Amino acid sequence: MAFVNSIGRWLKSHFVVIAGLFTLGYLLLPNIVVTVFSFNKPKGRFNYEWQQFSTDAWRDPCGVVGMCGSLSLSLRIAFWATVGATVLGTMIAFALVRYRFRARGAVNSLIFLPMAMPEVVMAASLLTLFLNLGAQLGFWTILIAHIMFCLSFVVVAVKARVMSMDPRLEEAARDLYAGPVQTFVRVTLPIVAPGIVAGALLAFALSFDDFIITNFNAGSTVTFPMFVWGSAQRGTPVQINVIGTAMFLIAVLFVLAGMVIGNRRNRQKA
Amino acid sequence: MNDMTLEKAATVEFRGLRREFGPTVALDGLDLDVRPGELVALLGPSGCGKTTALRMLAGFEHPDSGEVLVDGQDVTEVPAHRRDAGMVFQSYSLFPHLSAVDNVAFGLRMRKVRTAERRARAAELLDLVGLGDKGERFPHQLSGGQQQRVAVARALINHPKVLLLDEPLGALDLKLRRQMQLELKRIQTEVGITFVHVTHDQEEAMTMADTVAVMNGGRVEQLGSPSDLYENPRTTFVANFLGTSNLIEAEVDTRSGDGIVLKAGGGKLLLPEARCSAPTTTGGKVLVGVRPEKISLTHADAAGDIPAGRNRITGKIAATSFIGVSTQYVVDSAVCPEFEVYVQNIDRDAKLAPGAEVVLHWNPAHTFGLHADQSLLAGTTGSAGVGTVDDEAAV
Amino acid sequence: MATATSEAPALAPAPATKPPRRRGRWTPYWLLLPGLLWLFVFFALPMVYQVSTSVQTGSLEEGYKVTWHFATYWNALADYWPQFLRSVLYAGSATVLCLLLGYPLAYLIAFRAGRWRNLIMILVIAPFFTSFLIRTLAWKTILADGGPVVGVLNSLHVLDVTSRLGITAGDRVLATPLAVVCGLTYNFLPFMILPLYTSLERIDGRLHEAAGDLYARPFTTFRKVTFPLSMPGVVSGTLLTFIPASGDYVNADLLGSTDTRMVGNVIQTQFLRILDYPTAAALSFILMAAILVMVTLYIRKSGTEDLV
Repeated sequence: MAFVNSIGRWLKSHFVVIAGLFTLGYLLLPNIVVTVFSFNKPKGRFNYEWQQFSTDAWRDPCGVVGMCGSLSLSLRIAFWATVGATVLGTMIAFALVRYRFRARGAVNSLIFLPMAMPEVVMAASLLTLFLNLGAQLGFWTILIAHIMFCLSFVVVAVKARVMSMDPRLEEAARDLYAGPVQTFVRVTLPIVAPGIVAGALLAFALSFDDFIITNFNAGSTVTFPMFVWGSAQRGTPVQINVIGTAMFLIAVLFVLAGMVIGNRRNRQKA
Repeated sequence: MNDMTLEKAATVEFRGLRREFGPTVALDGLDLDVRPGELVALLGPSGCGKTTALRMLAGFEHPDSGEVLVDGQDVTEVPAHRRDAGMVFQSYSLFPHLSAVDNVAFGLRMRKVRTAERRARAAELLDLVGLGDKGERFPHQLSGGQQQRVAVARALINHPKVLLLDEPLGALDLKLRRQMQLELKRIQTEVGITFVHVTHDQEEAMTMADTVAVMNGGRVEQLGSPSDLYENPRTTFVANFLGTSNLIEAEVDTRSGDGIVLKAGGGKLLLPEARCSAPTTTGGKVLVGVRPEKISLTHADAAGDIPAGRNRITGKIAATSFIGVSTQYVVDSAVCPEFEVYVQNIDRDAKLAPGAEVVLHWNPAHTFGLHADQSLLAGTTGSAGVGTVDDEAAV
Repeated sequence: MATATSEAPALAPAPATKPPRRRGRWTPYWLLLPGLLWLFVFFALPMVYQVSTSVQTGSLEEGYKVTWHFATYWNALADYWPQFLRSVLYAGSATVLCLLLGYPLAYLIAFRAGRWRNLIMILVIAPFFTSFLIRTLAWKTILADGGPVVGVLNSLHVLDVTSRLGITAGDRVLATPLAVVCGLTYNFLPFMILPLYTSLERIDGRLHEAAGDLYARPFTTFRKVTFPLSMPGVVSGTLLTFIPASGDYVNADLLGSTDTRMVGNVIQTQFLRILDYPTAAALSFILMAAILVMVTLYIRKSGTEDLV
């Protein structure tokens, strides 16, 4: 009885840890499955059931027609969407924090609304516009759409950083013979950079992984998420899992490397 | 911009500076001359325009009218990054992404000085402010006092003609502030350039400055050495803002030699004519002031012992508070309801307790006279009079 | 102490902390112009086009004309109200599940993770980089018929109960509402965890100690102190989960069946396959309006106005 009681007490005091780790497991389970199944050798066209271990897909990641093409297209779109959204979003963030102007409320809602709108609504309405204008659907319409929905997220990320910056730092720079350009490059930009980087990373991830808006506005162009979607209908090649696993590992390694470098630099400073 | 001229201390002149922020008048025709190599303090309450004036000197603000002259040259239209002024900000504003030595060297870098030279000169200046060994630290790894020193070194790196200090010690605790006051004074003597120092702390201004400009409502109320301002205030604002003053409304009665005899309540007071800034026609009103520490306090029973020739006022002790070196008394008298007296604790008279009838007396030479048509309360903290001035200026 | 500089900005329109940009009066407009123009042309304007499309009649061959044909709305609602209902139900259930699952993890990261904090954060965010479609497809394997998950649920007789409730079918989980809600929960969980974590992290740990001194039970501390203080995170987390979930069609398509179609599926089909633009536009507009109304009411009720 005492034993049961102590187990009960242990569970109670560790409830948060247990529940939290359960959720973490729930979040990571699909990634584990994706990774394991990247070593599968499926019998049919679909890679949903475990058959036997094989490294075929890892040795030939581009062995599926059209997949690596769609991947490189997605990377290109994500790159340009990131550049576009980061530049436009950073400009807006600076204007919002540093200046006073008319119609501030309207500007704020125009930035907030895309984040509070289901993707399918934005996707459908944007397609309506393109159809009305008779635009050719493809790379450019996808890029336009991606810049549009990434923009607000960049604004939010950069705005937070600019707001926390002491405006007197710029005065201090000007006081020390820095002209407007030098002040921006040497002081403002380095201090605001973490916010811009965070916004850019977010934009890249959002753009690279977007399916719904892309699906509406891509015409016959196929991005990587669209390729995956299509293969879910026709048959899922193992290579999809290889790409998914590789992306996950690259992301984790990048972040870990960044953290290690950051830690080392901090230790040197101290 | 050759270094020979930069080494020299400069004069600073404000000519009729005026600046409004919406309905608020921050500067209302400010005039001020600063001599080369002088440490001048702009002293005043919040909203008196002192920081605005400093920022105009740095080039961060533009006056609506008037001009700023440095070494006789009009710099009003010169942008901040082309002016030879170094500024120490009140929250230091060190660049968080640069180490102490890079912060100090920033100004040289902007002037395209070579790396080796600028690191050497930055190290030199860090030595001057006593931080020679902390150069590689980042601002967040330095204490408030150390950041302050880095900020001073950074502002001095380009050999500015003027160093501007905007409440530089406001964020430090009392002990450190005292220490930094002396430190800044030492640095000023060493580099020998003009310092313009903005503060709301009268003690700080008095300790550090050669000249204090007391500011109120966007203009200079009175300019002078700390002791001159304290002994000879010319307005009630200065009398109250710098230390404490007892002010009595009085009427000019007669003259005797180089003194004026005044009627106040039932008694007579003597005021040296040289210490009166108001017109003294017979029958005219004058405000008479005297500092609390100049006054002696004698119990009414012993009034006969008071030497002749001293100004006297009778009253009753309302409150006393013992503060170590001295005891402060508040005395109710017919001429002034809350007369303040500070008596050094040498021989304490046990009879001087609340309720005791007393005679206040002082050497007439310590009396000063002010124009009668101004508020008795101007410059006192929390008084209605100053409150309005302040709020108007701040809104 | 900053005299005019620290006090003026709060009240005066021209704060002294701003640099004196006489020539820069137009600068904010130039900075705003390109981005806002982009949002206007590619976000706001399409909304207008969409409203206009929703009241047009015609056909693909002959073209469409605005005829203020509001009947499209009534027909769309009459035909597709089950899908609307399902969207709200599924998204709502997923949001509640996200909150229940996400809160302990956010709490764990904020207060109990110690030196593991960064690692757990990385593990929460990193799955984003594996395309969400690939991860959603993985659920097909996890929930596969006769797979371990279904086996366990079956042996515990959970599926008997859920079948009777109508959220699973027989001994299948895949292609049922449960699978769809499970997928939605999974997909939007990070959007719940991150805002929760942000607001929990701001809470001073000493508050817990202080509360611990005053109340004996940890749960009371949580209910009276921690949870109310984390409300901003709860509000933005639920919005960030509910809004995209209600418009999602990927989970319903990959993990569900024709009986689990949500409004997103209908809009997608109408737009991309049937090419009935007015109906699709009307549905999309109804969804948008419904969400805006719900969000507004919700924000009013929870009293958190500053989301951005």
